[in-house]
Amino acid sequence: MAAPPLAHAGHWIVNLLYLAPVVLIVTMLAVSSHRDKRAEAAEKAAARAPDEPDSQ
Amino acid sequence: MNGRLLAAVPLAGAIVLAAPEIAFAHGLVGREDLPIPKVVFAYAATAALVASFIALAVLWPRPRLEDRDERRVALLPRILDPLCGAIGVAIFALLVYAGFAGSQTATNNITPTFVFVIFWVGLAVASALFGDIFKAFNPWRAIARAFAAVATTVSRKELPAPMPYPAALGRWPAVAGILAFVWVELIDSARADPSHLAVLMLAYAAVQLVGMSLYGIEPWNRNGDAFAVYFGLFARISPLHWKGGAVSWRAPLSGLTTLDAPPGTVALMCAMIGSTSFDGFSAGETWGTLAPRMTDSLRDLGFAQSGALEVTFTIGLLVVVAVITGCYRLGVRGMRDATGIEMSTDALAARFAHTLVPIALAYVVAHYFSLLAFQGQAIGYLSSDPLGSGANIFGTAIATIDYSWVSATAIWYVQVAALLIGHIAGLVLAHDRALITFKDGPTATRSQYWMLVVMISFTSLGLWLLSSAS
Repeated sequence: MAAPPLAHAGHWIVNLLYLAPVVLIVTMLAVSSHRDKRAEAAEKAAARAPDEPDSQ
Repeated sequence: MNGRLLAAVPLAGAIVLAAPEIAFAHGLVGREDLPIPKVVFAYAATAALVASFIALAVLWPRPRLEDRDERRVALLPRILDPLCGAIGVAIFALLVYAGFAGSQTATNNITPTFVFVIFWVGLAVASALFGDIFKAFNPWRAIARAFAAVATTVSRKELPAPMPYPAALGRWPAVAGILAFVWVELIDSARADPSHLAVLMLAYAAVQLVGMSLYGIEPWNRNGDAFAVYFGLFARISPLHWKGGAVSWRAPLSGLTTLDAPPGTVALMCAMIGSTSFDGFSAGETWGTLAPRMTDSLRDLGFAQSGALEVTFTIGLLVVVAVITGCYRLGVRGMRDATGIEMSTDALAARFAHTLVPIALAYVVAHYFSLLAFQGQAIGYLSSDPLGSGANIFGTAIATIDYSWVSATAIWYVQVAALLIGHIAGLVLAHDRALITFKDGPTATRSQYWMLVVMISFTSLGLWLLSSAS
């Protein structure tokens, strides 16, 4: 009978540790990219705001 | 222990026994004595790459490697080129003769050790250090040049011009040649058979002669001759440039910036990195678990054992090459999206293809250093007794391999250093190319975020492969 994957978790968890730097850097880049896009959108919104008619 | 894993042990043993050169590559070096777990080296390498990336962004604001001048340091005597060519032809003839006439035990015959260790690994390292040595010693090029010279003299007129090399063909013949060689080295069940190697050497030479006769000697060597292209790429790392009867000095790595990238160039780099990666992967536990399952499935489909093994390993090789290609293209795609440059992913991938050359060399050094350090010594006794017939031409036939001159720990440090230096060199080249590709420094730096991910991925992959090789 094949052993469940958890029985050999030690083997593949050690392998996954090599992936950690890649995951970390990709996550950092994704977060940074998301923040840049939000900041860019906020800047564009701020630039449009003075053109909008005053409601009062 | 898992039953399938148990089944994998005798299979792996059978594979290693069937291929003595693999045993040389991965065995008999003892265990490392490291102060920290191996995975920590991957983290340290990542930190070093990130630090290098930041340093490049801050301290390298202008291109420094592109269009660098060369300084001529010496003129070469005219006799040198034909002399080296004649030596190359003589070595080739000796290897083919030894393959047919010598002992058919791989370790007693010079041909397998010379082809898989001295030629494939040693010459790659020598090319990166001393420039394009292979071009001078290339036996097929020497034969073609000699034939052209004799034909011109005898006929007393110029030979008909060759056909123009097809642009669409690019470096695809070299890709096919490299994959074919790697297939023989890693998968072919008869790879340790010297006469089999000799037949393949003659077949390869015939293809090269036909290619040169159709498209001209130099165009074919630049694009079609897999070994000329392979060693020529590594030679571009070297500060020495042999050209036009002179040797010039240039900044290390700067030769890579003038690399053209016709179709197939990116595939060639990925095949070079992927094939070395597969060699490491196939020695690890993950493949040792997967391969028997695939082989069993193929045997159920009617394949014989050796055929099933070859198909399994061929699939593995192609998948690893595809993974490397996908990883690089993802990085290039990220670069394109991050900068909004109006260039296709293919064009951008070709533009940065040269950055993969130091990585390919790093993989070769890291993976085959122990093979070169130990099995390379066998050339000492094999040169005295190339056929394994009991001769002692140079008095070195009783020399043996010293397995103690470099420790397993030292090998590990060399491997880590090679991977790190190769990937930092790749980062430097990518940063330099980005500075002339993108409109300003900040955009160039932003473009390289994803190349940094590619470099970190390849470094981690390389260290994982080395650490998991059994």
